[in-house]
Amino acid sequence: MVLQTALLIGLVIFSVLAILLKDLLKSAISLAAASLLLGIIFFRMNAPYAGVFEISVVAGLITVLFILTIALTGAGHDVRESKIVNWVFPLVFVAFIVIDALVMKSLLGKVPALPSGTEAGAFGDVLWKGRTLDLVGQIAIILAGVFAGLALFRKRDKHD
Amino acid sequence: MIILFVVLPLIVAGLLPLVGKVSRRVLPDLLANATLLFLLVYAAVAGRALIAGGPVLQQAAWLGEAVNLRLALDGFSLLMLVAVSLVGLAASLFSIDYMEHYGAKANYYALYLVMVAGMNGLVLATDLFSVYVFLEVAAVASYALVAYGLGSDELEAAFKYLMLSVVASAFLLAAIAVVFGMTGSLEFAAVAAALKELNAGAVIGIASACFLLGFGLKAALVPFHAWLPDAHPSAPAPISAVLSGLLIKVSGVYAMTRIFLNVFGLTPALSTVLMVLGAVSMVVAAFLALGQKDMKRMLAYSSISQVGLVVLGIGIGTPLGIAGGLFHLFNHALAKGLLFLTSGSVQQATGTRDLDAMGGLAKRMPVTAATSLIGSLSIAGVPPLNGFWSKLIIIVALVQAGHPVFAVVAVLASVLTLWYYLLIQRKAFFGKLDEKWAAVKEAPFWMTVATVLLALLCVGIGILFASTVTTWIQPAADVLADGVHAVTGSWGF
Repeated sequence: MVLQTALLIGLVIFSVLAILLKDLLKSAISLAAASLLLGIIFFRMNAPYAGVFEISVVAGLITVLFILTIALTGAGHDVRESKIVNWVFPLVFVAFIVIDALVMKSLLGKVPALPSGTEAGAFGDVLWKGRTLDLVGQIAIILAGVFAGLALFRKRDKHD
Repeated sequence: MIILFVVLPLIVAGLLPLVGKVSRRVLPDLLANATLLFLLVYAAVAGRALIAGGPVLQQAAWLGEAVNLRLALDGFSLLMLVAVSLVGLAASLFSIDYMEHYGAKANYYALYLVMVAGMNGLVLATDLFSVYVFLEVAAVASYALVAYGLGSDELEAAFKYLMLSVVASAFLLAAIAVVFGMTGSLEFAAVAAALKELNAGAVIGIASACFLLGFGLKAALVPFHAWLPDAHPSAPAPISAVLSGLLIKVSGVYAMTRIFLNVFGLTPALSTVLMVLGAVSMVVAAFLALGQKDMKRMLAYSSISQVGLVVLGIGIGTPLGIAGGLFHLFNHALAKGLLFLTSGSVQQATGTRDLDAMGGLAKRMPVTAATSLIGSLSIAGVPPLNGFWSKLIIIVALVQAGHPVFAVVAVLASVLTLWYYLLIQRKAFFGKLDEKWAAVKEAPFWMTVATVLLALLCVGIGILFASTVTTWIQPAADVLADGVHAVTGSWGF
C-alpha cells in the first residue's frame, strides 16, 4: 500500500512537471518518468500487457521521438506564454485534487469491487479477439492524424 | 454489411492522397462525392428494409475468423446515418467549387471522409469505449479541417476547439471508467442490465454528471459553449456546415441521448436537468446571436440555441417530446447546413462576413438569397417549412407533459430566432445594393446545386412532414422511448 501510494504520488508529480517545465527536453523526460511509473503500477495491478506497452511505447519509443525532434529543431524559439497560466493551472490542479479526494472518499465502499484477475487468455487473443469496433476506430485515428499533419504542414500551391 | 458505413469512407480516404498525385481535382472530387452518394442511397433505400424486423446486429469476421467487432443499427442510428450522409453529401458537393482556392483537395477530402467515418462509427457503436474512440476520430479530423485555411484566426480557433475538446474527452473517460468500475463491462446491453441490478444511485449520479459535462461540451450547450462561436465561423464554409449541422449533434446529442435514455434510463432528475440546460442554451444563445455583426458567428450562436431546443424536446422524455426533438435535430441539420453553405457563397463572392458591409445582394445572387431565406424561415419555424412542424411538436409535447412555462419560453425563443434571421436577410440580401458589390456574381454551379438541394428538402419535408415523421422519425423515437429495454431486450449477441 505504501509503495502503491508512493508510485501514484510520483506519477502525479512527474505529470505536473511535464506541463510546468519550460525546457522541452526536461518536460519530455518528466513525461517518460511519469509513464514509467504508470507502467509499474499496471504490472502491480495484474495487467502485464498494459504495463509492457506503456513502458516500451510511451516511456520508450515516444520519448525517443520527442527528444529526436527537440534535438533536430534546436532551441532559441522561446514562445511567449501568458502569465495567467502560471497561477491558473496550479489553482485548478489544487481544486481538482480537493474535489477528487472528497468525491472518492464518499464513493469508497459504494462502488462494488470487481474480482481482479490477471489478464485472461493468450496475448494474441487479448490483442485481437477480445477487441471490439474500437480497432477500426484506432486505425481511423491514425489516418486522421496523418492527414491532419499533411494538411497543416502542406506547402500552399503557387496559384493559391 | 452495415460496417460499410465506417470502412468504405476510410478506405477511400486512404486512397485519396495517392489518387491526388495522379489527378489533382477531378478524381478526388468524383471519388469523395460518389462515396457519400453511395452511403446516402444505401442508408435511405436499404436501411429501412434492413431494420424492418428489429435492430440489425452484426459481428464482423476477418478472413473467416470471428473478431469481436460488433455494430448495431436501429431506428435511431438509421436516422442519424441518413442525416450524416445527406448533409455530408451536400457539403461535399459544395466543396467542389468552394475548396478550389485552398489547394490540396485530395487531402481535404481524405480528412472529410475520416470525419464522416468517425460519425458513422459512433452511431453504430455498441459499447462505451467505441463511442469514445469514434468521437475522437471525428474530432481529430475536425481540428485539422477547422484550421485548413492556415490563417492565424483559423489556427487559433482550431487550438481553442482542441483544448476544450480535450477537457470534454477527459470527463467522458472518467465517466466511462466509473461505469466500468461499477458494472465490469462497457457493452451497452451488459451495462444497462447490470445497472438495473445495482443499487448505486450516487455513483450513477457522478457518472451522469461527468457524461453531461463531456457531451455538454461536445454539443456546446450553455454554459459549455465558449469554443463553438470561434471554431465554426473560422472553418471553411462546408466544414462549418458539417460541424454545426452534424458533428455537434452526433458527438453531443446522439451520444448523450443514447447513453442517458437507452443505457442509464431517464430519471425524473436527469430529465429536469436536460430540460433546464436546453432551455437556458436556447434563450441565452438567441440573445447572444442578436448582437452579432459577423454572419457566420450569428449562425454559430443560432446552432447553440437550436441544439438547446433539441435537448429540451428529448429531455421531456415522453414519446411525443422525443419525436419532436429528433425531428428538429434532423430539420436543423438540413437548414443550418444550408445557411452555412449560403454564407460561404456570400463570403466567397464579397470577401466579407460583416453583415453591416453587405446589402442588396439578392439582386446579384438571387438563388443564394432565395435558398438562404428558405433556411432562415425554416429554422425560425415559419409554416409550412420543416422547422415549423418540429417546433410545433416540441411545444405541444411540453404542454401535454405539464410544462407550460417551458412551452412559453420555447415560443418566445422562436420569436427571437425569427428576429435575428430577419436581421441577416435584411442586412445581407435586401435593401439597396452597395456600389462596391456591382460586380458580384451568383455562386458557381456546384455550390448552387448543394444549396438548392438542401432548400428543396426543407420545403419538401415541410409539405410531406407527416410521412417523414412516420417513416424516419417515429422508428427513431420509439427506440429512445423504449428506454433501457431497447438495448437489454434485443441487443444481446
